[in-house]
Amino acid sequence: MSTAFRSCFVLSGFILAYITYLLLGALVFSAIERPVEETLKSDLSSLKAEFLNLSCINATALEVFLEKVLRANKYGVSVLENATLRTNWDLASSLFFANTMVTTVGYGHTTPLSDAGKAFSIVYALIGVPFTMLVLTACVQRLMHPLTYGPISVCQRRAGLQPRAASVVHFIVLLFLVVLGFFVLPALVFSAIEETWSFLDAFYFCFISLCTIGLGDFVPAEKPGQRLRALYKISVMVYLFVGLMVMFLVLRTFHKLADVHGWTAFFQLPSCDEEDEDKEPIIEREPDEESPEAEQASVKPLDPSSQVSYNSINR
Amino acid sequence: MAAPDLLDPKSATYNTKPRLSFSSKPIVYNSGDDCDTITTVMKWKTVVAIFLLVVLYLIIGATVFKALEQPQESSQKYLIVQEKINFLSRHTCVNVSELEDLVKQVVIAIRAGVNPSGHPSNESSMWDLSSSFFFAGTVITTIGFGNVSPHTEGGRIFCIIYALLGIPLFGFLLAGVGDQLGTIFGKGIAKVEKMFVKWNVSQTKIRVTSTVLFILFGCLLFVALPALIFQNIEGWSTLESIYFVVITLTTIGFGDFVAGGSEIEYLDYYKPIVWFWILVGLAYFAAVLSMIGDWLRVISKKTKEEVGEFRAHAAEWTANVSAEFKETRRRLSVEIYDKFQRAAYIKRKLSSELGQNPGQDMMPCKRTLSVNFTDELEKEGLPTLTRNGSLYLNGLTPDCPDHGEISIIEHLK
Repeated sequence: MSTAFRSCFVLSGFILAYITYLLLGALVFSAIERPVEETLKSDLSSLKAEFLNLSCINATALEVFLEKVLRANKYGVSVLENATLRTNWDLASSLFFANTMVTTVGYGHTTPLSDAGKAFSIVYALIGVPFTMLVLTACVQRLMHPLTYGPISVCQRRAGLQPRAASVVHFIVLLFLVVLGFFVLPALVFSAIEETWSFLDAFYFCFISLCTIGLGDFVPAEKPGQRLRALYKISVMVYLFVGLMVMFLVLRTFHKLADVHGWTAFFQLPSCDEEDEDKEPIIEREPDEESPEAEQASVKPLDPSSQVSYNSINR
Repeated sequence: MAAPDLLDPKSATYNTKPRLSFSSKPIVYNSGDDCDTITTVMKWKTVVAIFLLVVLYLIIGATVFKALEQPQESSQKYLIVQEKINFLSRHTCVNVSELEDLVKQVVIAIRAGVNPSGHPSNESSMWDLSSSFFFAGTVITTIGFGNVSPHTEGGRIFCIIYALLGIPLFGFLLAGVGDQLGTIFGKGIAKVEKMFVKWNVSQTKIRVTSTVLFILFGCLLFVALPALIFQNIEGWSTLESIYFVVITLTTIGFGDFVAGGSEIEYLDYYKPIVWFWILVGLAYFAAVLSMIGDWLRVISKKTKEEVGEFRAHAAEWTANVSAEFKETRRRLSVEIYDKFQRAAYIKRKLSSELGQNPGQDMMPCKRTLSVNFTDELEKEGLPTLTRNGSLYLNGLTPDCPDHGEISIIEHLK
């Protein structure tokens, strides 16, 4: 009884913390962004007024035209001169689109226009998202051995550190390497290739993509007249996939770290029992998982600190 | 020749190989320390196989999207270019470059969330408190619609830090909500199962029905009902509403459709309800997606099992066949050697009796037999393969004038 009460208590604590966090974020975003938005608004209205002044158009005709242009632009169809030759749905771009959908990044710079496309997206996403998560989990489970367990045991043996200290040291080193290799370096490359992106923009893009948030305000390979566009898009795809795998790895390592330090027990979270999953990563524990109630198994307590997004649940 | 060694009883024990039996378990040929490499190789192969499957899946998706969308895109392009030409022809005082400039600026403004059409003065901001709250929510849940995004450097840096802390926090919350959801549903299902047990239905059927019930009920509550609501309030079609629900709850979040993102007048509590629905719906979708993942895993496990079984059977069959073959060869070679020895002995006796007749031309029979001597102990108790005093090699009599010279290449194992 006390454990149930305690878990309720913990849950409501989390909800409150979450709401407070959201409010805080809202306040800060509002304070930072609103002035910029006002300036942009006034700039645009003056531009429009200027345009209307020196021409024979009336306001309504312009509005109608603009509306149509904007609606087309929402779907990625641009009316500008040099953009007419490019299509958003050649094979490389479609592959990129499928990849962003399946990894749940979802930039939104191109979206399905037709009804059939939308229906297909629904089905494709419902199958593809768990599929991708399965692949990523399998790869990460496999990678954990050379990248986490190996170094930690080496640390313990050679340097004679305690398990706790060894895992902390290893995590810090891993984090540093990941940030360097998957954020800083790609940001440098992107800011060099994309002329309009600064280093901060590129870093922001890398972060937003690898967390699968995918706001879509920056999307690589969208510049008109980009050379080797297909190759560029495919290499970005590979980068996203590998980066996502590495993020999962980092999270799993952190989970293991939390386990070793006893934090998971404190927060009543499921612990990391990696050692048993040694031989068969995808397959193991299957017989045990078929608990008497199927839906219990399907709505099992999720593994909170070991995935980037909710749908990377592994069992 | 290695034959003299084999006659030595001491070396017999060194040449024994483990006997293979007809067991149902997969037979491991090599010794135990090879087992790890075998399973490791299989694991890598599985991962690579699944990875290739994902790539194939992506390519299939890409071709289908291309086939569905490209025609639509071309027609859109054509329409908008026509519009531009019409506009320019109707209003001749505007030249192309001015229009392009305006359009560029407008597009940039739209990307920033500012709508230039309509009346810009009394519009609500995209960054008032409730919209910022919604934006913060989309960042933390990693949905990331993108219809609103930070444009200042400070905003972007803050977004990074905010997401770093917020995503794990949301993960905790989702775990808790999922847990509660599971408990509630579990209790309900337990009651239903009690009813079913009275009717003597099998356990698997109960499980299957409960899963199906869960999916249907959840679909109704978290997909169908919100889709209807969105259809009525936002004015989307049915397909568009369902599309929005699925894209949002899988956290893909394209942003082409956003609840609460249009210019319509919304009720005050609309956005908070949408946010709450996203939270609970995410937990439900997490359960559904993990279930689908489990099915895929079970399928892959079954395939892997079948492949493993097949390989085990193939290995066993090969092992048995080659063992049998080796046995036969060894038996034959030993008998041939025996016969050869006896024939040579007889010949020597005869030639010694006959005196000076050493020059009898003995044509060597060109038959070489490669023999693997494995088990020395078997040599003694084997049935002879001779008939009428001639040697039988696999049922064929050698076509030799003299059954003497048969060279035997013997291998010691």
